[in-house]
Amino acid sequence: MSPLKLIALSCLVTASAVSLAAFSDPLPPDLTYRPLPTQPFSSVKANDEAQKPKVMERQQTLLNQRYDLSDKAMSNVSMSGGMKKVQEGVRVKLPDGVTWESLADMSPDEIRDKNLLPDGFKPLPHVKQATGGQVFPQKQIDEIGKQEARDLKRFDVDFDLPDHLTPEFPPPIFLTTHPELGDVSRGQLLTIRNFYEYMNGIITPVQMEGLRLLLTPFPQEEFNQTEDRKVAQQSMGVACLDCHSNFNTNAAFHLTPDVRPQASRFRLDTTSLRGMFNQQIHGSKRSLRSVEDFTEFEQRTAYFNGDHVSATRKGVNLPDRPNQVAMMAQMQNIIDFPPAPKLDPLGRLDPAKASEQELMGERVFLGKGRCGECHIPQTSFLDNNMHDLRLERFYNVGYSANDQVAIPDGPIKTFTLRGIKDTPPYLHDGRLLTLADTVEYFNLVLGVKLTQDEKNALVAYMLTL
Amino acid sequence: MNRFLPVALALMIGSPAFAQIGNPAGLAPDTKMQEPGVPAPHQTNNQDRLFAQLAAAGGLAEVEFGKFASTKATTASVKEFAQAMVNDHTDANSKLKELADAAKIPLPDTLDADHRVIRQDLEKAEGKAFDIAYMRSQIIDHQKMAQLLAWELNSGEDAEMQRYAAATLPKVMHHLRMAQNIASELTGQGSREVVASQTKK
Repeated sequence: MSPLKLIALSCLVTASAVSLAAFSDPLPPDLTYRPLPTQPFSSVKANDEAQKPKVMERQQTLLNQRYDLSDKAMSNVSMSGGMKKVQEGVRVKLPDGVTWESLADMSPDEIRDKNLLPDGFKPLPHVKQATGGQVFPQKQIDEIGKQEARDLKRFDVDFDLPDHLTPEFPPPIFLTTHPELGDVSRGQLLTIRNFYEYMNGIITPVQMEGLRLLLTPFPQEEFNQTEDRKVAQQSMGVACLDCHSNFNTNAAFHLTPDVRPQASRFRLDTTSLRGMFNQQIHGSKRSLRSVEDFTEFEQRTAYFNGDHVSATRKGVNLPDRPNQVAMMAQMQNIIDFPPAPKLDPLGRLDPAKASEQELMGERVFLGKGRCGECHIPQTSFLDNNMHDLRLERFYNVGYSANDQVAIPDGPIKTFTLRGIKDTPPYLHDGRLLTLADTVEYFNLVLGVKLTQDEKNALVAYMLTL
Repeated sequence: MNRFLPVALALMIGSPAFAQIGNPAGLAPDTKMQEPGVPAPHQTNNQDRLFAQLAAAGGLAEVEFGKFASTKATTASVKEFAQAMVNDHTDANSKLKELADAAKIPLPDTLDADHRVIRQDLEKAEGKAFDIAYMRSQIIDHQKMAQLLAWELNSGEDAEMQRYAAATLPKVMHHLRMAQNIASELTGQGSREVVASQTKK
């Protein structure tokens, strides 16, 4: 090699060494990983308890600014267990000077530039975003305390939504293997104490073992034995069905395990497990391909925020794939939707049973409203896909509310609408309180310009699903 | 310049309505309290101090690169962007300096190692290649700054520093979107174009 070429080569090597040296300083590790506490437990607890009234007041102020939280129940429509009325009306508050109609007539650019997107349509923050974690409604805390003497109450935060805006508790349980029995819950919450008595004779041994595991508490980020917990006493942990009460939901919430840093994580409203047998993708963001994958990995995600390092420290439970995971999945896969007597076998309304308004709602759903393009009736109102509604067309991203930074939601999976009246609040983060809210939200996001009659018909239709 | 007006607007409406309330597990052990659970003004933890240093280093580089690019760039939109970076970040840097002084955090006054490397690369590039290299480095810097600001918002304990992060974040995200759109115009690379109306010529 000629001296000139050697010099050129060495220059090249130097240049590439320089460019390899670029960005040698990564961002601090606790943008991705959970930091270890810097304070003793007693001191953290004292500060958390001192902050709690302010935390709850701040969240209530935000909720009241965004929503009408009052108790306005439909007189004639109950959830499937018949224990709780469905709430009616649009609850998201409009900014001054606009109506739903005038808003729907504006372009996304105009709404964004004039800052007119209703705040209730924007991402809903966790009660305490900086800490995050699972928060249970009071009824769940009380029932688990009574039956198992296990404490699900946090000392730093309480549940934020009023009871009348959450699902009935405990919800009914319908099994695909025993449609003739109807609700098999006996009006009780399934727990590790009572499940065997209630289910013996109805389910198989494999399903029984799966159910036992789904009701067994395991260490979780806020409920464990370490100093990094948010429950007063050292805790045995939480069970899968502590959130998915009776395989439905009690509206317990969490932060998504799939996003970092902490401030950008969106709130997760617990999803119902009804109709699991027809779901092809699982997790609002992760699109896991089987309920087995999801069940196995929840021990790292729902339980530990997607941080396997923290899980390892606090006591991770790794269910055995061919035995335990399969059995847990077997149990989840026999949970049916609630009965929908007005639907025919392919998910369409039976004209002999449905009202004219409900039939009109179905026409809007499948036509002008474009709901049926993703929520396909024949496949349990699913399309087994994720879609990006791109709500950020309507507002400037990056602002923060109660310490949560609003970033675009990105693609989120299509959720089923079967039994939808049983599972308020709505959307992946629970930002919409009633079905009427969801109609206004999608009317705007999809730009379909529905009339008031069409909106009312859509709500009437969804109540039949 | 009117294309940068929405930045000022975003900064005004971006200020949070409520005080930040962090996880007390991350407070510095020697934190003085104003009242139980609420750190006294300018009490800082490790995250606040590291944030101030990293944000200052980033802001310093923004201004220096902006000055450099506003003369060296050949594309009008790149020149305009570079000048906006000088203006916006000079302003942001002085606010950060005030807060850091109040909390007795020393800030860097020269380019850090990573930005020295970028500076060297930019010095070597000419013409359109320079414009593209500058915009690409701006995208990376604004991506990192957005994550850093969100980190401070939840992890810090100095309330004023956290409010600064909250107020600056929408602006940085807007800069990022502008940089992506300009890079897209220069190279044809994909862009989500969520603020398309604000980048119309």
